[in-house]
Amino acid sequence: MTVPILLQLLVSALTVFSPQEPEIVIRPPITGVTRLAVADFQPKTTASPEADSALKVFNDVLWKDLAFSAFFEMRSKSFYPIKPIRVPTDVNFEDWQTPTVNADFLVFGNLIVSGSGAVVEAYLYDVKTRQQVLGKRFTAASTTLIRNVAHNFADEVVFQLSAGTSRGIAQTQIAFSSQKGDSKEIYIVDYDGANPRTVTANGGLNRFPEWSPDNSRLAFVTKLPGSSRWEIWLQDLAGGRKVIPTRSSYASSPAISPDGRRIAFSTRTQDAQDSDIYVADIEGGGMRNLTNHPAIDTSPCWSPTGQQIAFVSDRSGTPQIWVMDADGSNVRRLVTEGGHCDSPDWSPDGRLILYSWQAPTQWKHDVYVVEVATGKIYQLTVGGASNESPHWSPDGRHIVFQSTRSGSKQIFIMNADGKNVRQITAYGINESPAWSGYPRREQ
Amino acid sequence: MKRVLTALMVLAVCSALLILPGCRRRQPAPAAGPAPTAPTPAPTTAPSPAPTIEVQANPSTIERGQQTTLTWRSQNATSVVIDGGVGNVAETGSVVITPRESQTFTAVAKGPGGEATASTRVTVVAPKEAAITSTDIEALRQAIRDGRVKDIFFAYDKSELTAESRAVLEENAKWFRQFPSAVVVIEGHCDERGTEEYNLALGDRRALATKEYLVQLGVDPEQLETISFGEERPFVQGHDESAWAQNRRAHFTVK
Repeated sequence: MTVPILLQLLVSALTVFSPQEPEIVIRPPITGVTRLAVADFQPKTTASPEADSALKVFNDVLWKDLAFSAFFEMRSKSFYPIKPIRVPTDVNFEDWQTPTVNADFLVFGNLIVSGSGAVVEAYLYDVKTRQQVLGKRFTAASTTLIRNVAHNFADEVVFQLSAGTSRGIAQTQIAFSSQKGDSKEIYIVDYDGANPRTVTANGGLNRFPEWSPDNSRLAFVTKLPGSSRWEIWLQDLAGGRKVIPTRSSYASSPAISPDGRRIAFSTRTQDAQDSDIYVADIEGGGMRNLTNHPAIDTSPCWSPTGQQIAFVSDRSGTPQIWVMDADGSNVRRLVTEGGHCDSPDWSPDGRLILYSWQAPTQWKHDVYVVEVATGKIYQLTVGGASNESPHWSPDGRHIVFQSTRSGSKQIFIMNADGKNVRQITAYGINESPAWSGYPRREQ
Repeated sequence: MKRVLTALMVLAVCSALLILPGCRRRQPAPAAGPAPTAPTPAPTTAPSPAPTIEVQANPSTIERGQQTTLTWRSQNATSVVIDGGVGNVAETGSVVITPRESQTFTAVAKGPGGEATASTRVTVVAPKEAAITSTDIEALRQAIRDGRVKDIFFAYDKSELTAESRAVLEENAKWFRQFPSAVVVIEGHCDERGTEEYNLALGDRRALATKEYLVQLGVDPEQLETISFGEERPFVQGHDESAWAQNRRAHFTVK
């Protein structure tokens, strides 16, 4: 009796989640029709070992940034003209319109080492109109900062050619929790995994980092060594921190509101049986229970307008994705497939919510996305590994997540349609990634 | 420990002996009027025998929050009532009680042959001052190391206590009550399934359910702290039920 029912459920679950046919279009096709050629940058005057090593890094980083941006069809370097291009007068535009190269736009430039630093001149040209789109001179105080110059120019190219749709992600950062023996510390890396730096070194358990909208602070939970209490920390990346007061030994999954003035998190009062979603102002005052429900309520995330909060609740039996207004009213269930859902993250355009899902018969998770308006879901990761804790890039075209696909838990980034997966950490155990916002504009 | 038990048993027997003489019996009143001069015919039925009752509390002196067992035995009774909130009871039986204050329990047995009462007093003393003694902490740590204070285990995605867990906690509670100055940290743990965020909340719920039952068993809530580790500290590595079952637990440490 029960066996056929179970089988039916399994069969229907399989149809719902078959990955081959997207039920919703994530957004206008991610691999755009803009064909981009990126010629290797050249020494401006004469080659030197310093210039060569700086150029090697620059060309590699620039190519990867533009390729991963998911805006361009990158034209293979194999068919480029042999003659190096340093300056605009070196370009023969017919060479870039042959059937094999067939580029719409061309990136090129030069580099000169001066003292311990370097100067880079970078260009973007429209091949058909032969017009200059961008011409920039960057000065790096040290050749070790050459990666940043490449990131900066890549973002300029993306901003121009996406007509302002994206400011580019090449200068963004990713925070995550990294296991060191019995402790877990918070680290930050560039979006491509380079340049790791330490945020915490307290020897305790530091978990679930989330960025403030201006990238100046990280919120996360901490259990210090020897303490039997989880605390919510607001760590200023320039130094200094604040502890948000909570009323019991349990506190989890903080999330700062898009206006930076409020913080949502999961905790409970001393006498409560279960966690609830609370909101406090960013200084920790005015703490208010939004869910007030006898079930586990955790993992809040804000909609981009700050008007709504998605969260996880097991009030229906198992943890599922629910949505409510930011004052706690209008509570509704968003995903209705059973199993275990967690880690919701609202897309920057407000249309979609990323989450991880563990099917009832499984122990591993996969990354899914649900369209808020319709509840339609689409599977983004497949395979034998567990894929969890997804988080949007600020332009909504990429996703960072943790996966066991390389053995231990590591951090990966991919396009928003699940393609173009790139591993950005390799050592130890790394989890709970959070993608920063765009860098602050320096004027 | 054995010596303590023996002493308690001796005490119990002594107190029972002391209580027994205190039982009063009411004989049926003799028939009024002058004694008959002529022999009356023998009654066709013997008079109903008078009921008897005895009641005792073991132990008769407890610390506030501890339990004692009230035991009674009656004969020739059709109803037995014990005051102090115990109520109507069977002719013979026992009940575990946790009086907050010193109290005298009076049992009344009624039957066709009359009525009998018996009393016993339970003395409740204030718990000893919870001075932090390193001996308490060390003794309890040793009991945990020796496996005399045991961990309890949970079903998948559940925080309800099983009958087996309750039995373990009843034994653990005795240890915790015995060393009241040692603060016990109840750790809630989960298996690797589910996400880290959810498991941190689930581990909290497991630790809380454990604390709640220990408090019901008379452990001072001030002696108990809870902390969830979620899936942070698996006791057994592995991706199968045998490993998972070992990792869904409440573990006890002394602060």
